[in-house]
Amino acid sequence: MSSTSTPVRESQLSTALARDRLGVAAVVFFVMSAAAPLTVVAGVVPTGLAVTGLTAISIAFLAVAVVLAVFSVGYVAMSRHIANAGAFYAYIARGIGRPFGVGGAWVALLAYNSFQFASYGGFGAIAAPLFADWFGVELPWWGFALAGWALVAVLGVRDVAVNGKVLGTLLVAEIVLVAVFSVADMLNPDFAASSAPVNPSSLVGTGAGALLVMAVTGFEQSVVFSEESRDPRRTVPRATYIAVALIAVLYAFSSWAMISAAGGKAVERAGAEGPELFFNLASDRLGSTALHLGHALFLTSLIAAMISFHNIIARYTFSLGREGVLPRAFGRTVPATGAPKNGSLAQSALGLIVILVYALAGWDPLVQLFFWGGTLGGIGVLLLITVTSAAVIGYFARNPSGEDAWHRIGAPVLGTALLLVVTYLALTNIAILFGVEPGATPTWAVPLAYAVLTLAGVGWALILRRSRPLVYNGIGMGARSAGAGLSFRDVTSEAHK
Amino acid sequence: MATSQLPLADDLYLAAHDSTRGRCLLTPATLGLGLAAALLAELVLWRRLEVQDNELTVLDERPTADPPTSAVLEQLLRESHHRKVRDWISFLATGVAAELVERRLARAGLVRRVEKRGLLGIKVRFVPTDPSLTGWPGTRIRIAATRGELLDSPDLVLTGLVLATGLDQHVFVTLEAHERDHLFDQLRRRMPAPLQYLVGHAEAAVGDAVMARRA
Repeated sequence: MSSTSTPVRESQLSTALARDRLGVAAVVFFVMSAAAPLTVVAGVVPTGLAVTGLTAISIAFLAVAVVLAVFSVGYVAMSRHIANAGAFYAYIARGIGRPFGVGGAWVALLAYNSFQFASYGGFGAIAAPLFADWFGVELPWWGFALAGWALVAVLGVRDVAVNGKVLGTLLVAEIVLVAVFSVADMLNPDFAASSAPVNPSSLVGTGAGALLVMAVTGFEQSVVFSEESRDPRRTVPRATYIAVALIAVLYAFSSWAMISAAGGKAVERAGAEGPELFFNLASDRLGSTALHLGHALFLTSLIAAMISFHNIIARYTFSLGREGVLPRAFGRTVPATGAPKNGSLAQSALGLIVILVYALAGWDPLVQLFFWGGTLGGIGVLLLITVTSAAVIGYFARNPSGEDAWHRIGAPVLGTALLLVVTYLALTNIAILFGVEPGATPTWAVPLAYAVLTLAGVGWALILRRSRPLVYNGIGMGARSAGAGLSFRDVTSEAHK
Repeated sequence: MATSQLPLADDLYLAAHDSTRGRCLLTPATLGLGLAAALLAELVLWRRLEVQDNELTVLDERPTADPPTSAVLEQLLRESHHRKVRDWISFLATGVAAELVERRLARAGLVRRVEKRGLLGIKVRFVPTDPSLTGWPGTRIRIAATRGELLDSPDLVLTGLVLATGLDQHVFVTLEAHERDHLFDQLRRRMPAPLQYLVGHAEAAVGDAVMARRA
């Protein structure tokens, strides 16, 4: 380029590009809203207590936070070197190989979709009694689930996002509410500081895997923002650690307070009261206004989480369509709005089917949809994180430049070892995790589903390698990079189908 | 065919507006990305710029005979330490490219300024003076595709950018499968490499905008 010396004045280009960049606080915010604190504390924890009968939840949250923190050292380091750093499968494609990358992408699709299905079940089950109480509206759970689904479907296809400020306000309100209710738990007359939630020995006992999986959700999002942040080298790692630490402390404290306040009957009461346990325990001290407020916030945060998660899935599908791993049609948007329409429609169609099947079969929305769906998704994400961690080792073994030994080898190897232990515990305790007898359907169907998806993904990648090498080379590049080439290079082969 | 051909970015701008009411068919962000890539492509066609993979290089510092591309060239020279194609596309897409192209079209009398008084003050936008003109670029490409004719380099890039921005859902819907094949085949085989890189970056930038909710 020109050899003229660059004047020291402000670069217009850098200024313009820096304008939309995010700081640490903004990234922490995004990560935490994806984690939906109130949904976990009021929804997942009591249901988990009831289904698994395990009370060492606090220590499980803390343990998982440590494992995630170790994992994210290598994960964040690798995100600085690859394109499409918002998706686990991109790491797998680069670190282990493209076939397993496609397998990972498909596993992620099932995991994320099952979180979404779970939220419909949770919303229906939680809204039904509240609406009966507040407005005298008597509808079955699936009536509310369908209403929530319809709202998500309409907003999703039009790509209406929940405004960032609204999400932020809801998030702060949720955190404050969880904290206040937990303090109120400590003032409960039955409160007896329990050591069970923080007993480390239960982490290696039966059911430990169950606890650990419950604590793994909504983590992938942090690095999504690496390309959006002001200084990816510092912003993203710092934001990731802060978010993980905040979430872990909040979850650990509130579940400890909840179990202690139940005075040794946590499992029985959780079974009888479900998500109401969280509200009931605190209501003695806080009165009915706080209770109604808490319920209202529970519903709004569930709705916000449903909408956000739907949009994440639609975009994920869009990205996979754009690179040719899913049919190209998913890579289309509505030109006038930029909405990833087909990804959204597909997710909504699946959601409708799941709600209708559960309604017709008469299955329980709280345990069999909300909790099982969340657990199914949690296992999927755990598997993805474990394989991604191994992929980080593989990647840096071949591309060692630019990172020190701790980031390249130390943390990834330690993280992978820890994650392998967690995965082993989760899969061997799968019956406890789902609250079923050993050998019951979920205990073999869930691992089988993920195994089949992985193998199908590998198979599809191998077919692509033979028939459409350009698409194959672009696997893991996502919608954001021009790495492998242009879509029109590949379009003809599709037009003939 | 050459009689109706405007500078590449102008053709893209017109193609991105509907022919009945002259409204824009793309989001402002996507249109901006398309126009940014189109202006850079014009500089490649002026033989001022070389694009190789992710980086661009100025080959010739002399201004072109055309103000908008000269303005972009001047900026490229002023900030010559920035060489990433994607950075330049993102920067020009912040409104710079749209403004340059709108001014050029206005000078040619093809668009006019419209001021609309709204609740939040006056909104200025440009609308095609004759909405039916907006159909021209698309029609030209469709006719070539139907007749199996070869496109020149600017129209190859235009076709590529129509695909990259998703405008093909409006412009190419009526094409038969074999006509599309013919078109894509030309893009693959006849578009010069630097222009292919640019179109590829434009497509990726549009995808990026969708992923980051900026589209």
